[in-house]
Amino acid sequence: MELNRRQLLCTGGGIGAAALLTACGAGDTPSPGAAEGSPARPKRGGTLRVGALGRASAITRDPHGTQANESDYLILSLVYDTLTVPGAKPNTLPRLAASWTPSDDLRTWRLTLAEGARFHDGTPVTAEDVAFSLRRLRGTPSGASRLPGIRAGNIKADGRGTVVLVSDYANAELPLLLRLTTFVVRNGTKDGDIGKAPGTGPFRLEWFRGGNARLVRNDGWYGGEVPLDAVEVKIFESPQAMANALLGGQIDLASNVGAVAARTAGKRKDVRVVRRPNDLALPVVMRTAPGSPFADPRVREALRLAVDREAMVRQVLSGYGSVANDILGTGDPGYAKDVPQRVRDLARAGSLLKEAGFDLSRTYELVTTEDVPGLAETATLFATQVREAGVRIKVTKQESAAFWARTWLKGDLYTSYWGTNDSVVFFAGKVLVSESATNESGWKDPGFDAAYRTALATKDPAKRAESLRRVQRIQHDASGYLLWGMADGIDLAAAAVRGLPTLPGYGRVQLERAWLNR
Amino acid sequence: MAEPLTDTAGAAGGPAFRLRRSVGRRVVTVLTVLVHRALLLAVLLAVVFAAVELLPGDAATATAERGESAAGIAGRRALLGLDRPVAERFADWMAGLPTGDLGTSARGEPVAGLLARPFPDTLLLGGLALLVTFLASLALGGWAALRPGGRTDRAVSGGATAVLALPEFVVAVALVLVFAQWLEWLPAVTLAGGDGGPESWRMLVLPVVALAVPQIGWNTRIVRAALADEARAPHVEAAVLDGLPGHRVLLRHVLPGALPAIAAGLATSTGMLLGGAVVVETVFNHPGLGTVLAGAVSDRDGPVIAGVVAVAGAVVTGVLLLADLVRARASGGRP
Repeated sequence: MELNRRQLLCTGGGIGAAALLTACGAGDTPSPGAAEGSPARPKRGGTLRVGALGRASAITRDPHGTQANESDYLILSLVYDTLTVPGAKPNTLPRLAASWTPSDDLRTWRLTLAEGARFHDGTPVTAEDVAFSLRRLRGTPSGASRLPGIRAGNIKADGRGTVVLVSDYANAELPLLLRLTTFVVRNGTKDGDIGKAPGTGPFRLEWFRGGNARLVRNDGWYGGEVPLDAVEVKIFESPQAMANALLGGQIDLASNVGAVAARTAGKRKDVRVVRRPNDLALPVVMRTAPGSPFADPRVREALRLAVDREAMVRQVLSGYGSVANDILGTGDPGYAKDVPQRVRDLARAGSLLKEAGFDLSRTYELVTTEDVPGLAETATLFATQVREAGVRIKVTKQESAAFWARTWLKGDLYTSYWGTNDSVVFFAGKVLVSESATNESGWKDPGFDAAYRTALATKDPAKRAESLRRVQRIQHDASGYLLWGMADGIDLAAAAVRGLPTLPGYGRVQLERAWLNR
Repeated sequence: MAEPLTDTAGAAGGPAFRLRRSVGRRVVTVLTVLVHRALLLAVLLAVVFAAVELLPGDAATATAERGESAAGIAGRRALLGLDRPVAERFADWMAGLPTGDLGTSARGEPVAGLLARPFPDTLLLGGLALLVTFLASLALGGWAALRPGGRTDRAVSGGATAVLALPEFVVAVALVLVFAQWLEWLPAVTLAGGDGGPESWRMLVLPVVALAVPQIGWNTRIVRAALADEARAPHVEAAVLDGLPGHRVLLRHVLPGALPAIAAGLATSTGMLLGGAVVVETVFNHPGLGTVLAGAVSDRDGPVIAGVVAVAGAVVTGVLLLADLVRARASGGRP
């Protein structure tokens, strides 16, 4: 038998090729209906035991509640379906909404529900159920940021199988916004019954207790065949304990366990490191508003030129990541790869600082917190690196709640992190456009705002792509962000686990195609 | 029916009357102690509320989703009653305490319900650790006390001093490394099953040992010292001179007198065990109060933190009272 390229790559794979390895199945006969990333024919059966991070005090059963726990979100997304789901290319794929069509002004969107979608108790899903769920979501405290521009009154059912959403403004990216927490429950579900509300997802809830749950296959799932018999989700407070459980064979998958665990477990033959690129952005935010020492664009440019991005990826992320180019949304299929990569240039950084009259005698404070691994390390290494350009920076670590209350959105220089990184437009609307409530750097750039609005309001794909490029170019040149790199999402899996998701962020919960090669 | 009995006893002035009076006095003492401890606990809870207030940020911001609007956060702040003075919130919370109402968490869950599941798990862990501590420190302390100054004594006392200074965290990590990862004898973490408790008893072994080791160190020293003190008592000397075998002297003559000190030592360990459980539960992923507490602190969730303190405080108070009773009984009413 001839070795093809894929097999060659697979046999030669070390830790570095782990992401690739997930694409290498046991057999080499691609089944026609198999999902991307699992070319081998999945074996049916078995229970997958998954560890996911979460805190006992933050457990929620509400699909539209504040899901601070990854474990809760995982359980919810296996039991309930969202209207759309994250994908690789395009970044939005159909789920409970099988298709969608916008009006010419991109304000009215008609979503057609999937054929044969049923709740776990057998009742069919209707447009009223979907409209009810979306209105319920919109009614939560963070509803306005989850369904931006769509007021509850503008969510309507049209017949049994169509839902109509009317946005306050033209929004070409509306289906993208429906990927998160648009979980559908039955019309009229009361808040008190929400924990028992049947879903439509690939798995049915068998039991839930204290953040742990057992889910069994939904045989009649409209989305296709689900190979696993069951998924057991175990809540873990610390990634270390989760890694220990995986190494000890107590779980089969440690979801989002992080680089530290990967470094120690990478040597083991019976453990696979799954890398999901573009998972986490760890930018340094420089305040652009007047009064900030970084208000002058030349100063921000100088700092962006002063960092050694390769070294940051190597040291902060243990190599589990990639260099970025100060543009947020690196996983977007429309990411501007043609914008030249910014590289370290201390000489130019120095002359820019001089030109701008930046006060090098002062010591500037960089505020950080330890919410996620790599955040505080980013700050420390950044301070060391820019010292070589003559900028003195003192790192201040704040406790998480203090950081969010006092520094976030207010500080002159601080670290931030974001998880949904597969959409340039998402970020532009969230943190870059002037009027955003979470404009982290206080950036106001009329040219950028115009480009963003055009991108949202243009139906023609070519013209839209053009304005998206403009959005990215302006951002690259002038924003308040220094995005030096992207951390990989890292899962550890037992050798037998196949068909695992390789998407960043919330894409990690897509376990409906996972199977066990036992 | 009880009246005539008292009368007869009273009339006779016999031992029954004295017994009754001493029982009455003891009940009063117990009640006084209980009231004192309850007041102390109330002060502690007030301090907890004040401390949460002093931490930067509040529950509304700490539990907010990123991107939640300022109006949304303000709305939730009002919903949680965080816009009211802390004294008022504390008074409200305390008012519910006698009825078992521990308030509502920042995420809208009733605190009593939130603690009902993990509390027994922590009690189980702490209780087992206390039992192991008791047995091990008694055995080790007794062994060392058999021949004071001997090799065993020096080894046990030295070892005890060494481990009592070890943080639970270090012990826990070392245990996982050796027994779970190298030898693969025991599971590394506790996984909860469908009933909420650990899936297997084997999962309890390492956390219990990790919790107990520093306490065994502490209590072995107390047992050893208490036995040595008691060994100097005249009646012990008499027993030794009578030629009774060493272990018999130890069990029958030395130990009863040393019990009050041993009980007091164990009682203080209860607090340490509950405190250590916070750390150990995190390392072993044990589904107990510790994990709830850790999350509640970062959520600035006053009612949850106070709820944990209240139930833990109640347990410690109960155990201290028990130790007091043991002491009172052993000392036979002597002060």
